[in-house]
Amino acid sequence: MVNATKGLFISCDIPMGQFIINMNASLPASQKFIIHVLDPTHLFVQPHVGEMIRSAMSEFRDQNSYEKPA
Amino acid sequence: MPQVRIIAKNFMDMVASLPAMKLDRLYHNSFICEAILRSLPPLAKKYVLQMIYMEGPFPAKSLEEWVLADGFSKHKVAIDRLIQLRVFMETTERKKETSYRINPTFQSNLQKHLTSGGVLPREPMPSNITVRLPSLEELDAYALEQWECFLLQLINSSQAEKLTNFSSSMIRVFQRGLLSQRDNKDAPRLTESGFQFLLMDTNAQLWYIIREYISNSEERGVDPADLISFLLELSFHIMGEAYNMNTLNEIQRTAIKDLADLGLIKLQQGRKESWFIPTKLATNLSVSLTDSSTRKQGFVVVETNFRMYAYSTSKLHCEILRLFSRIEYQLPNLIVGAITKESLYTAFENGITAEQIIGFLQQNAHPRVAERIPSVPENVTDQIRLWESDLNRVEMTLAHLYDEFPSRDVFDAACDYAREWGGLLWEDSKKMRLVVKAEIHMQMREFLRGQKQ
Amino acid sequence: MGHGEKGRPSKKPKFSSSKDDLPFDDDDTYFADAAAAEDDLRDGDKEAKKRDFSKLELKPDHDNRPLWACADGRIFLETFSSLYKQAYDFLIAIAEPVCRPESMHEYSLTPHSLYAAVSVGLETETIVAVLNKLSKTKLPKEMVDFIYASTANYGKVKLVLKKNRYFIESPFPEVLKTLLKDEVIGRSRIRSENQHGNDGFMISKAMGEIETSHDELLNGAELAVAAEEKEAHSFEIDPSQVENVKQRCLPNALNYPMLEEYDFRNDTVNPDLNMELKPCAQPRPYQEKSLSKMFGNGRARSGIIVLPCGAGKSLVGVSAACRIKKSCLCLATNAVSVDQWAFQFRLWSTIQEEQICRFTSDSKERFQGNAGVVVTTYNMVAFGGKRSEESEKIIEEIRNREWGLLLMDEVHVVPAHMFRKVISLTKSHCKLGLTATLVREDERITDLNFLIGPKLYEANWLDLVKGGFIANVQCAEVWCPMTKEFFAEYLKKENSKKKQALYVMNPNKFRACEFLIRFHEQQRGDKIIVFADNLFALTEYAMKLRKPMIYGATSHAERTKILQAFKTSREVNTIFLSKVGDNSIDIPEANVIIQISSHAGSRRQEAQRLGRILRAKGKLQDRMAGGKEEYNAFFYSLVSTDTQEMYYSTKRQQFLIDQGYSFKVITSLPPPDSGADLSYHRLDEQLALLAKVLNAGDDQVGLEQLEEDADDITLHKARRSAGSMSAMSGASGMVYMEYSTGRNKQGLAKSKPKDPSKRHYLFKKRFG
Repeated sequence: MVNATKGLFISCDIPMGQFIINMNASLPASQKFIIHVLDPTHLFVQPHVGEMIRSAMSEFRDQNSYEKPA
Repeated sequence: MPQVRIIAKNFMDMVASLPAMKLDRLYHNSFICEAILRSLPPLAKKYVLQMIYMEGPFPAKSLEEWVLADGFSKHKVAIDRLIQLRVFMETTERKKETSYRINPTFQSNLQKHLTSGGVLPREPMPSNITVRLPSLEELDAYALEQWECFLLQLINSSQAEKLTNFSSSMIRVFQRGLLSQRDNKDAPRLTESGFQFLLMDTNAQLWYIIREYISNSEERGVDPADLISFLLELSFHIMGEAYNMNTLNEIQRTAIKDLADLGLIKLQQGRKESWFIPTKLATNLSVSLTDSSTRKQGFVVVETNFRMYAYSTSKLHCEILRLFSRIEYQLPNLIVGAITKESLYTAFENGITAEQIIGFLQQNAHPRVAERIPSVPENVTDQIRLWESDLNRVEMTLAHLYDEFPSRDVFDAACDYAREWGGLLWEDSKKMRLVVKAEIHMQMREFLRGQKQ
Repeated sequence: MGHGEKGRPSKKPKFSSSKDDLPFDDDDTYFADAAAAEDDLRDGDKEAKKRDFSKLELKPDHDNRPLWACADGRIFLETFSSLYKQAYDFLIAIAEPVCRPESMHEYSLTPHSLYAAVSVGLETETIVAVLNKLSKTKLPKEMVDFIYASTANYGKVKLVLKKNRYFIESPFPEVLKTLLKDEVIGRSRIRSENQHGNDGFMISKAMGEIETSHDELLNGAELAVAAEEKEAHSFEIDPSQVENVKQRCLPNALNYPMLEEYDFRNDTVNPDLNMELKPCAQPRPYQEKSLSKMFGNGRARSGIIVLPCGAGKSLVGVSAACRIKKSCLCLATNAVSVDQWAFQFRLWSTIQEEQICRFTSDSKERFQGNAGVVVTTYNMVAFGGKRSEESEKIIEEIRNREWGLLLMDEVHVVPAHMFRKVISLTKSHCKLGLTATLVREDERITDLNFLIGPKLYEANWLDLVKGGFIANVQCAEVWCPMTKEFFAEYLKKENSKKKQALYVMNPNKFRACEFLIRFHEQQRGDKIIVFADNLFALTEYAMKLRKPMIYGATSHAERTKILQAFKTSREVNTIFLSKVGDNSIDIPEANVIIQISSHAGSRRQEAQRLGRILRAKGKLQDRMAGGKEEYNAFFYSLVSTDTQEMYYSTKRQQFLIDQGYSFKVITSLPPPDSGADLSYHRLDEQLALLAKVLNAGDDQVGLEQLEEDADDITLHKARRSAGSMSAMSGASGMVYMEYSTGRNKQGLAKSKPKDPSKRHYLFKKRFG
């Protein structure tokens, strides 16, 4: 019987894939959100985590970028 | 067609979209006939002038013989335009022979206009009544100031010093499509179209607003045809001259006040009489945008260190620049800002694209840097694009993952099915897994059920 | 983390007294404000109003005037104005340059910059009048008030050493009276016989400024004001009390900081040194300009001259020595540089061979006769430990001599405490500091002003490029994506100490580096320097690519051999250097730099490294715009994307960007079609490298630390430091004095509040 799982399909580049995998790994088991790592650039995750991932990414991006103060 | 089309090519597009009856009625006014004639593409103009004294239908075939083979596309454009405007009327006789007739009302009025010249329904007032009229420079300044003031109010800027007399509902009509509000708490934000709108030149912006103004007229109990007719008539008035208000009917009187708010008209009150003075915004109304040779002079200098210097006294410019940069200093004739990652991210979030920003900076490059190639430093344009692409590194789609297929046949069929529906996101034939967009889950389910049987 | 800066407000009270006013504030400032930042964000609107100067009144002929001046001290200058040259010379004298790209410069008026202006002979009225002349708008009242307030006391008093007697001199007798009321100064006064008037001051005619370029901008009436007070009043003080008197005059006491000038023409006590510039030594216009600021009134002023690397600082130094014609002590940062200075003296001047000597651990020479030039290192002079007998003798001679000129190279790299020591140990009439990059990433930049003197001149990099005086460098930031495996390790918490090693050893970066080396060696026949601060990386790269390398532990002989081979051999076209190569090592042959790792966010290091290739090469006409070699120097900074390196990289570029340089981002190196022939093409090779990085102890992957070595600065012992991130980002050697930026340490912001008491006294009054 074919099995269907609802989720969020993520398509990204390799570093961002690693970033999300690492993020998932650092969470306690109950909060892990990755359902399948499909390949290095595609992930299948819980449907509700989109915003969380985006905000973690934007925080990470901010850490790595220098903005000249006014 | 999208609900809001930002590029209102010109006034005549709108005229063309009027119902046939109203168009015919417009052609009773010989000024409108002239305005229409002027607005036509050159080839269409030529056709009209050649046929103006011809009676009866003229076979399309013979008309086509006038043009060389390589001019055919222009010919097509001209004919389409003439038919849209009902200047030409198409008649198909038996045996499918198409021929054109010039609109009789249009024809006779244009004939009259050509021979005897037009007479406006009103004459400029003598100067002994209107003691001191504004000079043309003053009038230009007034028009621009008024227009800018209106735009600032339109984009809800706190910088708008005085408000126009437009009702808030009217303003909301103008804002439709330009601003959007996520929820009631949020201040409305510019939409992508709104940003494009702000980047257009004044004439184009004016068209857009006038268009909205006209298309909303019915709700205000005004016949759009009356309004169009009046606006076209207005464009034949002489800039800077005073015209008596008492020559206007009730509809026109209301309209003229609105037009004054937009800067098309300046109103003045004498001791006994009151009059209106058309500004260049009014007299430019019927000028086709395609031949607007008056390109505005650029004013922006962008440096390699992402600093931006805008030679402008305009608050509106300042507001536009604020959409994607951090304004740091405002001087009497200079605005100093910095294009930062943060300011760009805000812009991107609001739906403004990197290309729009770069386009704006390039089109408005100050003459000092405009001849430099590139006018905006390459490292800046590259970086703006890179920042934008950085935001698009991750794509997320609600989806379903299907696995545990009973057979390869079913798997392959499911893949094909999903592909047909344009919903296949990912497949792994080795492990027989596929990911499909959530929208077609219902179809997929049905399909898979069918497979089972 | 990091949001300290993002939120960093433009909280700047008018003429905020803080070091924020310095054009290059240090890293800590940003973080210290983190706590305050959030409040300030809400003040955004208020702030916008404060910077709204749109109500300033435009003059009717504003088009012909080149600048705008804002109430908060910011000045904008149009470089395309016909008055640009005059306006630039004037602004660089009165204000700090903030950024100087092509079309529009920004400057900032600060107490320091005005102090410098006054020191080179500009008077308050002249400053205001010229500024007003150049301004498109009426000058804001706040600015005029600020100029008056800042210059009220500065430059009014000079300490002049004449015939070995010390005089306090001022055009304003009432100021002298004020000073004399002070007990210490009063007691130090020596009464002489020929007294005039009841004040008892000596009156002499001081020579007016020779340079009058700013005066051209003024009309007669305004000039009269400027020319009025040229009569100098003075009294003599006891030589043994000079230091005390100077102390009393500082801003934290009487607040009449003294300018030091040396009337060398009338110095009959110290023997003359017979040396002239050779006829072949033709100073360029900007070199002349800096000298004219120094010798503007016929005396020698102490101060700092800022010229980009490769623009010929040494000729300025040698010229200054030739004008003064007295004994000169020249201090450099290392032994290689000492050799180079000695060479420069012989090259440009007619000095006799036996009158110039080097004093380093290797060569302990002494000059003959009663006057000469000694070239040595800061460390040799400041060293406090036990010295060899021979050294001790020489140092004794240095201490006892009265030097006409103390010439100090690379003043930006020398820590303030060492300056203090050197300056207190040596007696000199005039101090000239030279530097390319006046970016102090620590707080000590303010010290330079009082230890040496104000900035006398600073050249505009872009103008020198346009003039063909320095190379036109194409700068690029090469983005190297992390490989999957390296990035996975990079993100792991347990590897936090190896982050740097991981992003530096990123195989994609290695491949980009290898590609660039091949390209420039083979396609263009260039000479390449590769810089790596990380010793692990330096060694790995150099070994793998079979190229020679120099780092701290490389012996002097070995260094000389490698450099010689690089200069002359066709086989050796690439060398790898650790940060020992940042300063002073003169490698004029190199025209390409590839930077694979660097010292955190050091803006100065970036500029110094670029300086290695700024010396103009080839024919002038080829280098001018449109010539066949418009760009013939290349600076690549290799950065691993999605890592902290991106943050540092952008920050490091800021100084150069402010000088008008731009970095082109290159995203696809090596090009996809050049894969297999470069190293680390296969995954197993990459994994082996990764294992090597991970297995190396944390102590092995850290930054090189250069130690101050006793009597000999050339024998830097390199040791591998324990590589905590903080240590990595804040090497504690003498070369870099940058505080850890603390990007990995949350809460650092709070632990480092601004300490008002540590603020320089010049600013203290305005603070709080």
